[in-house]
Amino acid sequence: MRREWSVAIAIGALAAALALVAPSYFSAENLRDIFLVNMPVLVAAIGTTLVILTGEIDISVGSAFAVCSVAAGVAAKAGMPTALAGLTACAVGAAAGAVNGALVAYAGIPSIVVTLAAMVALRDGLRWTTQGAWIADLPPRFQWLGVAQSTFPVVAGLASGLLVVAFAWAMRNLAAGRAVYATGSNAQAARLASIDTAFVKLAVFTAGGALTGLAALLNSVRFNQIPSNTGIGLEMKVIAAVVVGGAAITGGRGTFTGTVLGVMLLGAIGPALTFFGVSAQWERALQGAIILAAVTVDAARAGLSRTALVGA
Amino acid sequence: MAGLLLEAAHITKTFAGVHALRGVSFDLAAGEVHALVGENGAGKSTFIKIVTGAESADSGTLTVAGRAIHRMDPPTARALGVAAIYQNPALFPGLTVAENIALPLDGGRAFGRVDWRARRRNASQILKQVGAAIDPDREVGRLSMPERQLVEIAKAIGANARILIMDEPTASLTEREIGGLLEVVRRLRAAGAGVIYISHKLEEIFAVADRVTVLRDGESIATRPRGQIERGELVRLMIGRELTTMYPKRVVPLGDVALELRGVSNRTRGVRQISLTVRRGEIVGVAGLVGSGRTELAETLFGLTPPDEGDILVNGAAAAIASPAHAIRLGIGYVPEDRQRHGVIPAMSIAANTTLSNLAAVSSRGLIDRAAERRASTKYVEELRIRTPSVLDAVEGLSGGNQQKVALARWLSIQPAVLILDEPTQGIDIAAKAEIHEIMERLAEAGVAILMISSELPELLAMADRIAVMRRGAIAGIVSRSDATPDRVMALALGHAA
Amino acid sequence: MPSRILLAALGIEAVVFAAIAPNFATVANVFEVMRLSVEVGLLAVAMTPILVTGGIDLSVGAMMGLAAVIFGAAYRDWSLPIGMAAAAALLAGCGGGVLNAALISALDIPPLIVTLGSLSLFRGLAEGITHGATNYSGFPPTVLRIGQGYLWGIVPAQLPILLAIVLAYAIVLHRSVIGRAWYAIGFAASGARYAGIPVARRVGLAYVLSGLVSSLAAIVYVAHLGQARADAGTGYELDAITAVVLGGTSVFGGRGTIWGTLGGLFAIAVLQNGLHLAALPSELIGVLVGTLLIGTIAIDRMRRRSRALGGRLQEEDTIVRNSQVAVLCAAVIAGALIVAGTNVWLVRSIESNVRGAGAAVPASRRAHRPVVAVMPKAKGDPYFVSCRAGAEEAAQELGVDLIWDGPTSLDAAKQNELVENWITRGVDVIAVAVENRAAISTVLRKARERGIRVLTWDADAEPDARDFFVNQATAEGIANALTDEAARLLGGAGDFAIITGALTAANQNEWIAFIGKRVSEKHSGLKLATIRPSDDDRDKAFAETQTILKVYPSVKLMMAISAPAVPGAAEAVRQAGRSDVRVIGLSLPNINKPYVHAGVVQTVVLWNTRDLGYLTVYAGALAADRKLPAGTRAIEAGRLGAISIRGSEIVLGPPLLFNKENIDRFDF
Repeated sequence: MRREWSVAIAIGALAAALALVAPSYFSAENLRDIFLVNMPVLVAAIGTTLVILTGEIDISVGSAFAVCSVAAGVAAKAGMPTALAGLTACAVGAAAGAVNGALVAYAGIPSIVVTLAAMVALRDGLRWTTQGAWIADLPPRFQWLGVAQSTFPVVAGLASGLLVVAFAWAMRNLAAGRAVYATGSNAQAARLASIDTAFVKLAVFTAGGALTGLAALLNSVRFNQIPSNTGIGLEMKVIAAVVVGGAAITGGRGTFTGTVLGVMLLGAIGPALTFFGVSAQWERALQGAIILAAVTVDAARAGLSRTALVGA
Repeated sequence: MAGLLLEAAHITKTFAGVHALRGVSFDLAAGEVHALVGENGAGKSTFIKIVTGAESADSGTLTVAGRAIHRMDPPTARALGVAAIYQNPALFPGLTVAENIALPLDGGRAFGRVDWRARRRNASQILKQVGAAIDPDREVGRLSMPERQLVEIAKAIGANARILIMDEPTASLTEREIGGLLEVVRRLRAAGAGVIYISHKLEEIFAVADRVTVLRDGESIATRPRGQIERGELVRLMIGRELTTMYPKRVVPLGDVALELRGVSNRTRGVRQISLTVRRGEIVGVAGLVGSGRTELAETLFGLTPPDEGDILVNGAAAAIASPAHAIRLGIGYVPEDRQRHGVIPAMSIAANTTLSNLAAVSSRGLIDRAAERRASTKYVEELRIRTPSVLDAVEGLSGGNQQKVALARWLSIQPAVLILDEPTQGIDIAAKAEIHEIMERLAEAGVAILMISSELPELLAMADRIAVMRRGAIAGIVSRSDATPDRVMALALGHAA
Repeated sequence: MPSRILLAALGIEAVVFAAIAPNFATVANVFEVMRLSVEVGLLAVAMTPILVTGGIDLSVGAMMGLAAVIFGAAYRDWSLPIGMAAAAALLAGCGGGVLNAALISALDIPPLIVTLGSLSLFRGLAEGITHGATNYSGFPPTVLRIGQGYLWGIVPAQLPILLAIVLAYAIVLHRSVIGRAWYAIGFAASGARYAGIPVARRVGLAYVLSGLVSSLAAIVYVAHLGQARADAGTGYELDAITAVVLGGTSVFGGRGTIWGTLGGLFAIAVLQNGLHLAALPSELIGVLVGTLLIGTIAIDRMRRRSRALGGRLQEEDTIVRNSQVAVLCAAVIAGALIVAGTNVWLVRSIESNVRGAGAAVPASRRAHRPVVAVMPKAKGDPYFVSCRAGAEEAAQELGVDLIWDGPTSLDAAKQNELVENWITRGVDVIAVAVENRAAISTVLRKARERGIRVLTWDADAEPDARDFFVNQATAEGIANALTDEAARLLGGAGDFAIITGALTAANQNEWIAFIGKRVSEKHSGLKLATIRPSDDDRDKAFAETQTILKVYPSVKLMMAISAPAVPGAAEAVRQAGRSDVRVIGLSLPNINKPYVHAGVVQTVVLWNTRDLGYLTVYAGALAADRKLPAGTRAIEAGRLGAISIRGSEIVLGPPLLFNKENIDRFDF
């Protein structure tokens, strides 16, 4: 829980500075806009949190996001109702995730290799099939999931909030959720406790893929066209948010509170820098410095408390 | 026979040609504590692995609660109520105590609801049974080693085990915690469970066991009710042979003091005020129970965890040993206890392993001369009679004894002044044991000062010129070869006046 | 050593491409493959010991960008002698490596996290130093020779650098005390510690060296392209890791060799080169590399597993088990399937070309149809996709073979690579939409020397590097049209903001410069409030516009100058309900139609991209037939009619302004 506090404090500091310099940052519509922009990141980050909790990693999220977006668009254009189009996107994502998961869990190939291959193959495969063309002329009922533009943020907010709460609850209170933690914490001990760790890994990759599909859907319905080159670099954003949120890359440790805070911090910084009047060219450097600072402070503190513990 | 929870008959098991078990028979009744004793390498661990299904026996029969079990595997064992507590707890560091206790219980239903309150209640109840004051909400990764041990015990008890196997459960517990644990064992017995209790601490065995079975060299030597055996006989049965003829250490004229410790402490590792000398040609044994601080002392001397107090003198000169590399430069070699993880690098070749600590000897200007490396390695392979087709083979393919020789060979190349050996013959067969002992002798003759940590009394009594007995991080007494008897050493290690 | 599976894959690649790709199996091509592998090769070689110790370094590509920028700034801005500038770049590489090393080995933070953070930091610093826009060029010829010249007329000049680093690393990793320590650490870090190896220092060294080699790669990259920009080396870290992993190095540490890495590197390079020479589309590369990666590693692991079951280690090289035979057969079949698949694709694409052209062209000419190779800046970009339609139309009409290929995303180095490959293949005409002027010119000159007609289109190279430039509009013309339109819509005075592509995009930066000039010269009432990047991502343009609308409420006009950014900005304005804000920009009609009709977007400035593609191929076909000598004043370009030529610029005509009235007449 300590890392969550560091991130929360960082968000607090940022908020305090903004309150002083640019109070308009806290206008309802700005907060709403920032939320809507980061909502796909949040939904995808839920999946990546699951994957990282088992001690694996998925860097194909960005490419899968693009594939799912296009799939949702094609489905919607083919006349499917929005729900079915969304299901298609999730199914495509889940299928891609399942292939990754199977290769990781049953063929024993390291996840970074598998998802690196998936990342390039999916991206270039999509470029090849779409030839860069956008999916345009989406049916109007597809946009905003068929609700009014003004109600969409409420719907989306409720949906993604529910999703986070549901996952947080399930991961805490369902045996399946605890199996994910157990697998990442000590795979050997997990097997001794009758947990099928390979299946757990397959399941988290599949769930991660499905969530990527959902993220793609929630993003796509905000526009009336779907670009085929979307989602470039999304995986890095998502992984950074999860890691800043305190999940251990080695698995077994991490919370959804942390992930939500991580997405909040990284999502808030970009616009905040604009509000502060920082020019665009220093933004990336600052973001990198903040990530490094977060993990360094945490590591240094962990090191201190470790020696304190041993000395006691 | 009614009331028997477990019956094992004529169990045999062979690993890579070495007989680990040769016809072990053992039974356990409900409401009984049956102690299993024997030296390291006598086959206790292998026997437990077979009972818990981690290994399968080559032959013999296993009957649990009257049912003959043909294929024992871990799930079956668990279903039959067999639970083991290991020396190295298999816990989930990131999860809470309550969850660690609960997880093995509710496998299966993926979408089953976790009842945290029940988990917590259950955990604190079990922990109370064990006599441990641990908050069930604490993260296991932040617990101390003895606390983890207690959680491991609680875990097994929580699994409602009918057959509970405790393998050195008290190794790192305090007196108070041991008392609590023995109380738990008695309570389990009263509740009708059977406990297989393994310990080196004879006092515990006499305190709780109803029967004692002695294993030696993979055979069950004797099974006696507690009242019909006394301590001296038990030790004799465990050791089983005439000590003096088994490990002959020739008399070597002792040279100057090679290693001297003056009040060396390492508080973070629990090493307190060690003063000791080792002379050239001398073998000083270090006895003590598991957890008495022997390995911690060795790692302090080797610079892995530098001391925070006291002086270390090597060949008469004060040395502030800050790192293993520094220790090696001073001529100190260390063969650690955990051979697979620390002693050798199993995936690397014999040649690479033997030269790893002194690459300078086979390299010039930082570049390794492979021919020289092979020559050097071949020399040690021949000298130590390491049985392998080629020095380029990976160490992981060798038998335990040959792996240990590779770990030793690494230090020969630095021409050590001081060699620290931590359980040098643990888990290797008799023939290899004798070879290791002979190598130690040759080294002593060549003027190397040897500090040998061992849990095997006969080995210590036979090989060591003097035996330093450690207890709770400090030296409880130093006995010379002529005065050393098993009882005396044991008494010191256990804290009785002898 | 590279695994036998990898060597087999390399062998299959060689055999297949020798059969289907013209001029694949020539000495010159072999050297070309090597030249194009140098930068990624350097990174991959330095990455090998890092993976051997069980770590990873994701920051190498970003380090290249930072080092390139520092090299450029040191030479151009701080006026240091070139040697000192190079030293400064190498020093920066060292510094970056030290930062990684300190966090990883002193603070014990997982390398993946550290280098993920430093990736952003390094790339961000590079962007900050250059303001994203500065593009350093004008390096002395001695430097350029390293990247562009030849030794003894055939050996690429940067090859010895790669060779030297490969040898140095091979010696250190395979022969030295340090390399032995790296392996020991990778197999068992604690075991290495008990053997007296200074683990933290050895691990740190690998990262410091990686930083240093990355900066060396940056210098070679700058020398190769003749320019230093903040986006140098983008994504190279993944290419390098792919090569290393393909070469059999385990990401869990302990196993891997420099020779394996070289094998992996060349397996990818040969694949790229072969696909280009065979005129197969670039998108296949990603798909095939992914397949190759999973395939070789899966097979390798299966072999290892069966071997482990089989027992003794030393027998591994002599005994072939049935399971291994089965696995090898599976590998061969899988490889054959991939090859067959690509061949089918190839045959089909050729057939469709022939079919399409067959009707218009007499049989006698079919034997030596001229080959016109046209390269967009980025293949997936809808702008270029719309150009392609026109290009194909002209190719069919004139009966020429059209090769349409380019980088899948903006990448100057990939453009050069593709031109090199086309030279080797021996096409008749090359037409390039230039991403980077200085970089492409060298290789275009080389193409001209080999007797290939060279055109540029969309964006120009140096005038002496090409025969003609098919000019749709000058940068100044575009900037003026946009600025004048903005002034008209704002009534001569008001604030506006620009959404650009990537901060480092050269074209956009040039337009921005001219927009600034036009504002100060003619429309002093206009004020540029801010410039924000969209990275050619519609969604990012959307988010940036939302923020701008709030931070700069006085902004009444959004000018988006990247094709996907216009609909992004328009959507943001529409959703905010800010009917007082106008949107104009440079984009395609189709993706903007909804917004133009809704009155959100007032004007889209562009030319007829279909016509641009058509004219380019038309001019190319004429050049191929030697019907376009220097000094031609006008050509008759099919359905476009008479097109005038000014100097060496074939001018398409003035930019089009799309608005409500006319936009439905265009479909691209």
